[in-house]
Amino acid sequence: MLYGNQKIYYLLERVGDSYMKLETGSTINIKKKKKKKKIWDAWLLVIPTLAVFIFFFLIPLFFLFITSFKTFDASTGIGGEWTFQNYIKFISDPFYLGVLWRTVKIGLITTLVTIIISYPVAFQIAKAKGKVKNYLTLLVLSPLLISMVIRCYGWVILLSNNGVINSSLMKLGWIDQPLELLYSEFSVIVGMVHVLFPYMVLSIMGSLERIDTSVLRASQNLGASSLKTFTSVTLPLTLPGIFAGSVMVFSLSVSSFVTPSILGGPQVKVMSYITYEQVAVMLNWPYGGAIGFILIFIATITIVFYSKILSKSKKGVAIQ
Amino acid sequence: MSYLKIENLVKTYNKTEVVKKLSLEIKKGELMSFLGPSGCGKTTTLNMIAGFLDVDGGKIEVDNESVQHLPPNKREMGMVFQNYALFPHMTVFDNVAYGLKLRKVTKVEIKRRVQEVLEMVRLSGFEKRYPKELSGGQQQRVSLARALVIKPKVLLLDEPLSNLDAKLRQQMREEIVEIQKELGITTIFVTHDQEEALAISDRIAVMFEGRIEQVDTPADIYNHPETDFVSQFIGEVNRVRGKVLEVYENNKCKLFFYGSEQIVSIHSKQNSEIDFFIRPEKIQILTSPSNKGDEIKTIVERKMFLGPKTRYFLKIEDNHIVADISNTMINPNDIHQGSNVFAIWKPEDLLPSRKGR
Repeated sequence: MLYGNQKIYYLLERVGDSYMKLETGSTINIKKKKKKKKIWDAWLLVIPTLAVFIFFFLIPLFFLFITSFKTFDASTGIGGEWTFQNYIKFISDPFYLGVLWRTVKIGLITTLVTIIISYPVAFQIAKAKGKVKNYLTLLVLSPLLISMVIRCYGWVILLSNNGVINSSLMKLGWIDQPLELLYSEFSVIVGMVHVLFPYMVLSIMGSLERIDTSVLRASQNLGASSLKTFTSVTLPLTLPGIFAGSVMVFSLSVSSFVTPSILGGPQVKVMSYITYEQVAVMLNWPYGGAIGFILIFIATITIVFYSKILSKSKKGVAIQ
Repeated sequence: MSYLKIENLVKTYNKTEVVKKLSLEIKKGELMSFLGPSGCGKTTTLNMIAGFLDVDGGKIEVDNESVQHLPPNKREMGMVFQNYALFPHMTVFDNVAYGLKLRKVTKVEIKRRVQEVLEMVRLSGFEKRYPKELSGGQQQRVSLARALVIKPKVLLLDEPLSNLDAKLRQQMREEIVEIQKELGITTIFVTHDQEEALAISDRIAVMFEGRIEQVDTPADIYNHPETDFVSQFIGEVNRVRGKVLEVYENNKCKLFFYGSEQIVSIHSKQNSEIDFFIRPEKIQILTSPSNKGDEIKTIVERKMFLGPKTRYFLKIEDNHIVADISNTMINPNDIHQGSNVFAIWKPEDLLPSRKGR
């Protein structure tokens, strides 16, 4: 009797197993087909964007890259000979190296300052709820609604020698001579931070919102003060956001043209400005192209280096 | 005698009291469950004990010291969260060592204690893994180890098993009890799963709408529910109605149930109607009348084979009841749908309802 029962159970199990196999097998097949089709649909949607990107960005960029290895001809612009001279000229000239260093320096300082001022803002917005949160987000984004040129001229009014800040300080008698605020690296950085900080806020906010409150509670429960919880849990968990924001802010900053032109003037020349000079004023396209590529190269290296430093402390987060 | 003492605890959200003057005493080394449906205030109460929520009234004492004014990081309570709440950027070792580092324990000692506790939760060798590389059960074990390693005064478990699948849940709850008894740590276990609470607790506090309905051992909660809510929430019950035919001395009444007469220990008045609860496994069925006059004629509406027992859905007049009968007592093949059977129960198994009295 027992044997019979066991046999029945065994048979039942077998039938169940093969049934399961059959079922899962077929569902997997269906899933695969569906997935394939879905992927195609998704690609169809991407094609227009991709086409624009390839034809109007990658291919021209490639031509520019080739051009940067050509000689300069005063009459036709682009000469017929191949040469490394454009790159050698840049590397061997302290003036151009100085411009490169200034550009990267402004980029790094801008990034650092935006991180410092954006974090508390992002923290408060991430903590806020409902309507308040929407209003605060809108407030942070509002600078983006105004033309960059207008915002820069706004800073000119504030920072110039007889501008609002200098005249107020002199009236108060705190200074005799106006401070050289405008047309300096300082004014460029101030303008850049103003323009770019929404990107950083949004990026940090995103990673703050992904943190589970119970993780913070766990930290406190284990004996950590609020400050300790921030430094050992919140901050490490928001490094990906800080990194994403930094990449955006840094690349936008080193490649920006309007802000340094208006707030830096001829004294604070940056890479985009001298590229413009070569291409539009001197009509030296090969050299302009070379400068452009050096900027791309340096910016990429800086970002890679930066990500290496950050990734050291965010191993587990990357998996998340 | 009590180690953790809660007195008239109150919590109010938007003028609604979600915890209403709750009082409870938990003995040292005891495993107390907070059991109730969602929204009954059990997690809110736990969060107040842990210090994550401010108390709007009342007192919380641990070892005769008032703690409700302390921030969570000064309360020395170990908490295990429903979603594990491990630090995703730290390895298993660093997660467990976190609380020890904060307590300025030496490196050697940290290593020893982390290894010891990981052994206890059977996770030795997982030190270098990150939480995302572990299964749900393993993550919950790390979470438990992290709470235990600091040797907390009280261990708080907030629905720790509800994210695990059924089999693992059972296994984990046995492990939790084993560890809890081994360490003799005073523990609060919050759950909405009555089976879980009945299986592991020393005592259960059944909560409903911000109040404690009953605090008792699992057996007493099940067999002697003090309120209607407890009788209906714990286990399954049938509701039957009886009419008092005669009132005797020493609180006994003769009651009339659907054509049968029984003498029940209850205090009541002549001709009043009383609702009773009775558990499905306390009902027996007979295929032929017993001729004692205590059987009730029913019709089998449906039956459900459940392995060791069979559940019969019976119709008594316009009332429906279920009876769970062991298959060793009655062969389910002998009872057919639509046939007449006779239900009987012992008068002492009837749980009088407080409302219908």
